[in-house]
Amino acid sequence: MGRRMSRAMCMTWRHSSRLFSCCPLPFTSPSLLAPSHFHYIIPDIIVSHHYSHFLSSQNPSSQSSTMESSPPHHRENESNGTHNISKKSKPMLISESELRFEFSHHDPSIARINNGSFGSCPASITAAQHHWQLLFLRQPDHFYFNRLQPAILRSRTLIKDLVNADHVDEISLVDNATTAAAIVLQQIAWAFTEGRFQRGDAVVMLHYAYGAVKKSIHAYVCRAGGQVIEVPLPFPVNSNEEIVDEFRRALMRGKANSRRVRLAVIDHITSMPSVVIPVKELVKICREEGVDQVFVDAAHGIGCTDVDMKEIGADFYTSNLHKWFFCPPSVAFLYSRKTPETSPELHHPVVSHEYGNGLAIESGWIGTRDYSAQLVVSDAIEFTNRFEGGIDGIKKRIHDGVVEMGKMLASAWGTNLGTPPEMCASLIMIGLPVSLGISSDSDAMKLRKHLRENFGVEVPIYYRHPKDGEVNPITGYARISYQVYNTIDDYYKFRDAVNQLVSDGFTCALLLK
Amino acid sequence: MDSDRGENGDSSHNHVSKKPKLSVFISEEEIRQEFSHHQRGIARINNGSFGSCPASIIAAQKEWQLRFLQQPDDFYFNHLRKGLLESRTVVKGLINADSVDEVSLIDNATTAAAIVLQQIGRAFAQGKFQKGDVVVMLHCAFQSVKKSIQAYVTGAGGSVIEVQLPFPVTSNEEIVSEFRKGLEKGKSDGRHVRLAIIDHITSMPCVVVPVEELVKICRQEGVDQVFVDAAHAIGSVPVDVKEIGADFYVSNLHKWFFCPPSVAFLYCRKSPLSSEVHHPVVSHEFGNGLAIESSWIGTRDYSSQLVVPSVLEFVNRFEGGIEGIMMRNHEIVVKMGEMLAKSWGTNLGAPPEMCASMIMVGLPSRLFISSEEDAMRLRSYLRQHHGIEVPLHYQAPSDVEGVPKDKDGLITGYARISHQVYNSFDDYCKFRDAINQLVEQRRSCKMLFTE
Repeated sequence: MGRRMSRAMCMTWRHSSRLFSCCPLPFTSPSLLAPSHFHYIIPDIIVSHHYSHFLSSQNPSSQSSTMESSPPHHRENESNGTHNISKKSKPMLISESELRFEFSHHDPSIARINNGSFGSCPASITAAQHHWQLLFLRQPDHFYFNRLQPAILRSRTLIKDLVNADHVDEISLVDNATTAAAIVLQQIAWAFTEGRFQRGDAVVMLHYAYGAVKKSIHAYVCRAGGQVIEVPLPFPVNSNEEIVDEFRRALMRGKANSRRVRLAVIDHITSMPSVVIPVKELVKICREEGVDQVFVDAAHGIGCTDVDMKEIGADFYTSNLHKWFFCPPSVAFLYSRKTPETSPELHHPVVSHEYGNGLAIESGWIGTRDYSAQLVVSDAIEFTNRFEGGIDGIKKRIHDGVVEMGKMLASAWGTNLGTPPEMCASLIMIGLPVSLGISSDSDAMKLRKHLRENFGVEVPIYYRHPKDGEVNPITGYARISYQVYNTIDDYYKFRDAVNQLVSDGFTCALLLK
Repeated sequence: MDSDRGENGDSSHNHVSKKPKLSVFISEEEIRQEFSHHQRGIARINNGSFGSCPASIIAAQKEWQLRFLQQPDDFYFNHLRKGLLESRTVVKGLINADSVDEVSLIDNATTAAAIVLQQIGRAFAQGKFQKGDVVVMLHCAFQSVKKSIQAYVTGAGGSVIEVQLPFPVTSNEEIVSEFRKGLEKGKSDGRHVRLAIIDHITSMPCVVVPVEELVKICRQEGVDQVFVDAAHAIGSVPVDVKEIGADFYVSNLHKWFFCPPSVAFLYCRKSPLSSEVHHPVVSHEFGNGLAIESSWIGTRDYSSQLVVPSVLEFVNRFEGGIEGIMMRNHEIVVKMGEMLAKSWGTNLGAPPEMCASMIMVGLPSRLFISSEEDAMRLRSYLRQHHGIEVPLHYQAPSDVEGVPKDKDGLITGYARISHQVYNSFDDYCKFRDAINQLVEQRRSCKMLFTE
């Protein structure tokens, strides 16, 4: 029922009560918030020819022919809800107008070139999620006793296959990478507390580790007596070797005075500034150097780069599915490698009935809450398979897209890229013109706000502290993302906004507060 | 509808009148519509387990979800925290807290337990508490809380004392006396009772505990911290955290306060302890106080925490607002409990004054409920074959005399029935008849077929 219904669920965005006879939404009095999806309008976006970037060359990209020839399961055209799909046919590749529809809830006035921060979720998957939410609300006890755990298991199994893990036991579903970090670090803290690790033993992390993870490391590790070593990373960066060298040096520091490095926390793709890290190589070095555990924080991972647990070889690996894998907020997987020796015991910090039954089972019930985001993984996979080449095709095209856009912007502004293309996935850092005068983190935030409010561009800005002796350094970088819903116009809008700021003689010093 | 509300300036409302402004309360039909997503044909007399959420609140929640999806960055920077603060402010008003800083929003009571107990665990680990120092809890504390104690207290060297809750129970004094005994045990051998965890309304079996009195006793007896697990409280009993006087107080808003799954508030009385509690998921706001930490624990759906003001509007559509709802739920559940007990020839597990909107009703001894498995089996049977959703409790007969009996034997099983605004008399009649049928057919638990 799940698959076919999920396409039908698209319609719930616009005509909520039609398909659910058991759930007519009542007339709501004016004093309550009116359900806005009754007023929900599909904006009339002009289709950019660049959508065809994502579509099959076999699929004529003209909308009208697509509409007329669309097979029965394209719900947009059906009004009677009959399902007459030929059972064995491959799903048609997504058309431009369908793609537009899937993301038509995005604010049309914004050039949304920041998929990296919060991800995105197509309408058909949101609809599938609503279906699960409704199932719970209808009869929660039955849902709890009979439906929830099999559905979670199904999601975990699909992920196991996607990431090439050996065992479904190795895959737990949690809210996000931040939660996964807390889980891994809690176990480290216990080891210190129980004396299995000595005071002063080290945890190594990248300087560009995500802020929340840094705080988590300090909270769990330092509080328990461990020491933290940060690996400084150059930025801009030109090659993997630069990263590897710094990493080796940091490990040496960690092992100084006969200490042990108990954990290395390595980003697969750093957040700000965004760089693809050679994780496989770093994990190998960790093994060579006797690091106890390796935790790869791949918040940006699945859906934008290759995620193969056995290839990468880490002990723990986490990635958010709501960032680049089209799931609703929020769901992430935490992979915990099963080893013949006793692996460290991971526990979900919110202890509930399943305590002691393994992290995956513990995470499957942490009290009454909405687990629906964890239940639509199959729908997300189905969605990616509507694109040519599936998720691999998407990965390649969004990489090519972001590189092309990055080069276009760097060229238009006379600046540079922060990394070579091979050290990017679907995010890229582009230098901003020096004249903008970005001289602090606060400037970067203010400029970002200015771009949002005055130019309708959503893009995170990074402040790079200049090194001594640099002449006229570029101190501001924009991190642009590229996802299937983006068009070239989004990046033109950004290009033009910055060009205008430059020609207006704008500097960040002019911005208040 | 508008003319009913007199919003069009109907002249009949303009003359001076001492009567309160005319307002129209929610009608029966509107209530039915609000809960029309509940599965038809199910006698849903178990609001206590998972709560319920009216359609207009679901709609309000979807609105928040959509705003995030439309422009998440703008939502994060400009709307989220404001919305959370509004929700927290509503809660502060509902529970009579001094400051909104004392009110944090989290997923559920289970999360609150982890927060409080992690802090206890750290104190043991850091040597602030001595190994063997005690945490006191009720024997019937919720299973997940027990496990949390195991994980964070026992694991860190603390010891645990369980207070037996007498059941069936007839007066607060029985509970108070057991609790005093538990505290004495805890203080024996020079140990310190570092934490008492007290349910405001226990889950299974369900009894309203005299928390205020127990907290007072804790203070008298030098207990360091008191944590009240009031998962069921808000929306079923009045909650005044200053009167209750605990250090920590948690209640789920999705159980009896019409919020969607899931949202709870954790009240932390301002004290030196406030800076010791942290959300276990550490994010950017670590160190800024639990309330602020909890307002951002990574990207996730915070929408259920944002609809609290809408829920306040919803409950105020009922006569007497939430107080009116509580009062009527209580009256009706007691009436229904008495009706069932009379029909089955059994008893109530606690007197009406020790119930809120749930009550324990003895099941006929002829069903021969002799284990928790039997109770589960019967529960599944009732769900599958009769469309009745009701949790059942096995109460092992104690040695103490006075184990309740019906005309055929010892009463060892109890049903916990709930009443919420969507319930109807038929729900309980259905349950009454299903049990009577089983008894007439001489079918005991073990004979029931379930898939």
